[in-house]
Amino acid sequence: MKFIMNRDQLVDSVQDVMKAVSTRTTIPILTGIKIETHEDGVTLTGSDSDISIERFIPVEEDGYEHVEVEKSGSIVLQARFFSEIVKKLPGSKVEVEVFERFGTRIRSGSSEFNLNGLDPQEYPRLPEVQENDKFSIQADLLKTLIRQTVFAVSTSETRPILTGVNWHILEGELNCVATDSHRLASRVAAVESTTDELEHPNVVIPGKSLTELSKILDDSSALVDIVITESQVLFKAKNILFFSRLLDGNYPDTSKLIPSDSKTEMVISTKEFLQAIDRASLLAKEGRNNVVKLSTMENGQVEISSNSPEVGKVFEHVSTESFEGDELKISFSAKYMMDALKVMDCSEVLIRFTGAMRPFVLTPLDGNTIKQLILPVRTY
Amino acid sequence: MLKKTKTARIIFHVDMNSFYASVECSINPDLRGKPLAIAGNVEERRGIVVTSSYEARAQGVHTTMTVWEAKQKCPGLIVMPPSFERYRTASRKMFNLLSEYTDLIEPISIDEGYMDVTERYSDHSPIEMAEEIQNRLMNELHLPCSIGIAPNKFLAKMASDMKKPLGITILRKRELPGKLWPLPIEEMHGVGKKTMEKFHKMNIYTIGDLASRDLQEVKLHLGKNGEKLWNRSKGIDDRPVDPEASNEFKSVGTSTTLPEDIVQIDEAANVLKELSQSLEQRLKRKKVVTTSVQLTIRYADRKTITRSQTFSNPIQQKEELFKISNNLFKEHWDERPVRLLGITATQVIDKSNATRQLDLFSYKEHTKDEQLFETLERINRRYGEQSIQKGIEKKGDVSHGNENETGRNEEVDREGINRQGRKR
Repeated sequence: MKFIMNRDQLVDSVQDVMKAVSTRTTIPILTGIKIETHEDGVTLTGSDSDISIERFIPVEEDGYEHVEVEKSGSIVLQARFFSEIVKKLPGSKVEVEVFERFGTRIRSGSSEFNLNGLDPQEYPRLPEVQENDKFSIQADLLKTLIRQTVFAVSTSETRPILTGVNWHILEGELNCVATDSHRLASRVAAVESTTDELEHPNVVIPGKSLTELSKILDDSSALVDIVITESQVLFKAKNILFFSRLLDGNYPDTSKLIPSDSKTEMVISTKEFLQAIDRASLLAKEGRNNVVKLSTMENGQVEISSNSPEVGKVFEHVSTESFEGDELKISFSAKYMMDALKVMDCSEVLIRFTGAMRPFVLTPLDGNTIKQLILPVRTY
Repeated sequence: MLKKTKTARIIFHVDMNSFYASVECSINPDLRGKPLAIAGNVEERRGIVVTSSYEARAQGVHTTMTVWEAKQKCPGLIVMPPSFERYRTASRKMFNLLSEYTDLIEPISIDEGYMDVTERYSDHSPIEMAEEIQNRLMNELHLPCSIGIAPNKFLAKMASDMKKPLGITILRKRELPGKLWPLPIEEMHGVGKKTMEKFHKMNIYTIGDLASRDLQEVKLHLGKNGEKLWNRSKGIDDRPVDPEASNEFKSVGTSTTLPEDIVQIDEAANVLKELSQSLEQRLKRKKVVTTSVQLTIRYADRKTITRSQTFSNPIQQKEELFKISNNLFKEHWDERPVRLLGITATQVIDKSNATRQLDLFSYKEHTKDEQLFETLERINRRYGEQSIQKGIEKKGDVSHGNENETGRNEEVDREGINRQGRKR
């Protein structure tokens, strides 16, 4: 195997597949990156067996030459060393050549490395995915809906299914739901699919997979094809294949848990509200739970307060754009509120409360594709 | 009740001046004399000033300003993030120094405390002693403070506020009309925004206004708190300086030395069940809940291990205490004979401050308490906070106890060892 590639192109591509490589793997070969050359280009693969990423670098693209393939073949190189080496190589081009017994020489400018490679035959095959039912989403929209939901997944393994985001596809609509049982984030988006009857009721993608996927996708309007099978999901973007294992088990039906009525409704500036909560939480952080209290006031304002007996107290007043319904005092985690407000992407947010011991719902004033639900905190 | 001493007491209130900023200056002398602010978020525009040095205050910087505003007022302002570890260390040193003068010290917060120096380890007069304390805090720790001297805690606190920084103020009872009564009511310690509004409605604007009113009238509008404040406005405050006040309830535990060494897991479970029950009662009596449970195992060779578990929602009930301690035992017991078992609630919080994060999948179970909570809140709104609370235990509340428990009393519990109470 032998190829010569632009260094920047190689650095970028290696970075992408490194997202899947874990140093803590039980399968030693997976600490490596697999490199495969063929006539039309070079393929890099990284995997931790949950996530696998395949990055293709074509010989030529848009009239631009990325790589010269001189000899076809394959090799596995220690990811940790290989990625550090290519980042620091001095030349603008990198030559990689494999010799006997997987010895690999990397040359660039005045520098030459000789690495001991691993047998590419030992590298596990990527899952085979039948591409019958696929659907597509624009890359930038996909990134947005990941950002708007994935933060709410559970980090605790007590209910493993909650560490994933539930994707529910029905009638050309994708509904993403994540919850750690203390708050819930949901986002609906239209998808393009090849068949009308595409239906996936219970797909749960690990939160970590989506976070990594989001990092390697461009903010472009190019379509990403998505294929879901029994145990795998495949995302196909330009020159990238991203495979993830799906989580086993049934995702709880959360639709009935979201209240539809409300007793108190307010519209408030997202930014002002976020900043007030942020300031109030300065003192709350010193306390244990980062809890702030929201109290409605007579003049259409709300008061955000926090009391940390050892440090002090804070009061913040925020004017609402509109206010309707019962007066209310409710306590909640400042962190959950800030997490939710940060992904609303709207200047004004509608908050609907149904009582101090019931979940409340945040939606953008103009539209209901995003729903953020937060469970309050009660005094003991 | 404590026996009242006949002689008038002498109380100091020691209040550190812009403590966080002073500590930073004491650690880094280059900062001394410069305008310095400690802010929650140094980088961003929306960070707010938590405290600032007097040099910064002189240029218009004050607490709760945004960093951006503060820098507008004071372009040379140095802004630093808080480092609570440093402040805790400095606080410890400060209280150590104070304890050279008397044992009767009651810390109120990280940077202030009361001292009862009526009987002191010093031949100096109180004012000389205050000067010495102030000088030593300044010279040895580079920390400025103000000291109020008065016959009780309330007046001492008011006095220390009268001259800052580096003030020493004596407030005698006969000086109240001139020094205390002209102050606006909101400057009275114990009067917050809400209470101030209530006083204003009664046309009370100064502390003197309050002192001149009839007690019954004040009580009618403000209840018990009104009576307390009325007394204080007249310079009456008989709260003792209580060194234990802040240490109280840091941890609550119970343990038992076993009549025979335990060698079986179900024997241990029985003991832990009883300890959990006893611990639940003690937590209830102290009106606290805990977010951390520690199990102590002492083996027959006296080797002792402790293992603990921390969780986010606080607990108090024996079932939960048992479940956690029993799991800890199963996980960490090395099967050698056990001589003593103990369960300690290590991170206790006042029940009134404790919170519980509701859960999406179980919140409906809690909503049955909703009406109760709403009623409580309505009452509190009408009659003031803390008028009524949920679950205040009656005296001698042992309704969860079995016959075996009723023989137990406070003294036995305090000892932490109770052989007789255990059923074999």
